[in-house]
Amino acid sequence: MTEYAIRITRLNYSYPDGTRALQEIDLDVRTGERVAIVGPSGAGKSTLLLHLNGVLTGSSPIKIANLNLERSNLQQIRSKVGLLFQDPNDQLFCPTVFEDIAFGPLNLGVPAEEIPARVNKALRECGLEQSIGSRSSHHLSLGERRRVSLAAVLAMEPAILGMDEPTSNLDPRNRKRLIELVSRLEVTLIVATHDLGFVLDVCSRTVVMDRGKIWADGDAQTILSDTRLMEEHGLEVPLPLKAETRP
Amino acid sequence: MRHNFIDRYSSLDSPLHTLESRTKLLAFAILIVGVLSIPTDAEAIFFSYLFAAAVLMGISQIPLGYIMKRMVVLLPFIMLAAVAAPWKGYAGFGALAVRAVLCLILLILLTNTTRFAELLCGLRRFGFPQIVVINLGFLYRYLFVLMEEAMRMKQARDCRRVGRAPLTEELRILSSMLGTLLIRSFERAERMHSAMLSRGYSGDFPVVAPRRFSWHDIVFLAGTSAFVGATIWAR
Repeated sequence: MTEYAIRITRLNYSYPDGTRALQEIDLDVRTGERVAIVGPSGAGKSTLLLHLNGVLTGSSPIKIANLNLERSNLQQIRSKVGLLFQDPNDQLFCPTVFEDIAFGPLNLGVPAEEIPARVNKALRECGLEQSIGSRSSHHLSLGERRRVSLAAVLAMEPAILGMDEPTSNLDPRNRKRLIELVSRLEVTLIVATHDLGFVLDVCSRTVVMDRGKIWADGDAQTILSDTRLMEEHGLEVPLPLKAETRP
Repeated sequence: MRHNFIDRYSSLDSPLHTLESRTKLLAFAILIVGVLSIPTDAEAIFFSYLFAAAVLMGISQIPLGYIMKRMVVLLPFIMLAAVAAPWKGYAGFGALAVRAVLCLILLILLTNTTRFAELLCGLRRFGFPQIVVINLGFLYRYLFVLMEEAMRMKQARDCRRVGRAPLTEELRILSSMLGTLLIRSFERAERMHSAMLSRGYSGDFPVVAPRRFSWHDIVFLAGTSAFVGATIWAR
């Protein structure tokens, strides 16, 4: 039997103003799989990610690691599913980096004396110095902030990691660093992104979303090199694949 | 863009900086109560407080120019209060002004020798309501984000504007900018809340506080209490 990290069947979600953000979404993700969700802005990618840990709840139940996502087990599910938000300023809300990274583990009930070790481990995993802990997030560069946000999520030791546009606004060096970092992680990964180069480097499977629906689901290389499919959904075949298909 | 105008020198390493935040909160509170209780005609006591403030400034290693600059920004507000109480006469006005200057120096010293995060920790361990401390923390964290957003909006406006518009038009633009800022903040707050929920927030905001008292704290606290006690006893 295959183990599923995420099972979503016929999920519908409308925003309070009536906009249908998700329509009949079916998505199964196996444990350890790396899945990219690509599609134009406003396709519902971020909305779908917010369903993974019950921040938003749609019409039908979602299964996370064989648990039905319900009110009663929200805390348990949130300890398994980490979400990296697009804007680190939304994610880093504490006065210092240390407090921000400690926030998740403390909520999970990790004893106070184990917290510094957890924080330092997460910082190390994200290639950050221990000394950054005492600084305020607003004194950091965007690249650092993004990595601190990731450290804040990893400190909770999630089994599933959802990321929303992890490479947006990063310069090439920081982008490359993030790709290396994410490739090393041993988690089930689900990434909403426009950065198709990132998808090629990191993900094996790609899902195309547009106007709240899933239009294609399969091998990343095959989907991303399908010129017609890509252009139909406001995307573009990434450069490395274009070079291969050139006559 | 980086701003650190509130607590620019708070990460120095002077003896005053290394004290525990609770010590400083308590000691400065005692000093401020002392300042407020100086009788209007007790010149010697005023001078002794000025001397004490100067000593603290010296220990803190914060440049005098910076303290002066901060004071110039804040002083008009307090002077306004002094002017608003004309029945106190010249002596009353003078005493009020000196008290205001002393209190400001002390507060500037407190906020610039203690990192804001530690100040909040101190407040928390003194039993301040969690919700107040959390909101102060958010205020500090997002003040800078908000300022950046406002600055970017101002730049965008300046880029598209040639010459001066009539005053009514200026006001209209300004009010719509403020409105946009409000809506953006509101949306950010919602995203922040999602981020908090995602990391297991369930109403309680726990922190770890590794700092402990040392004998320096006891000496400092005893010193300030003795000083304030002496000035009260002397009159």
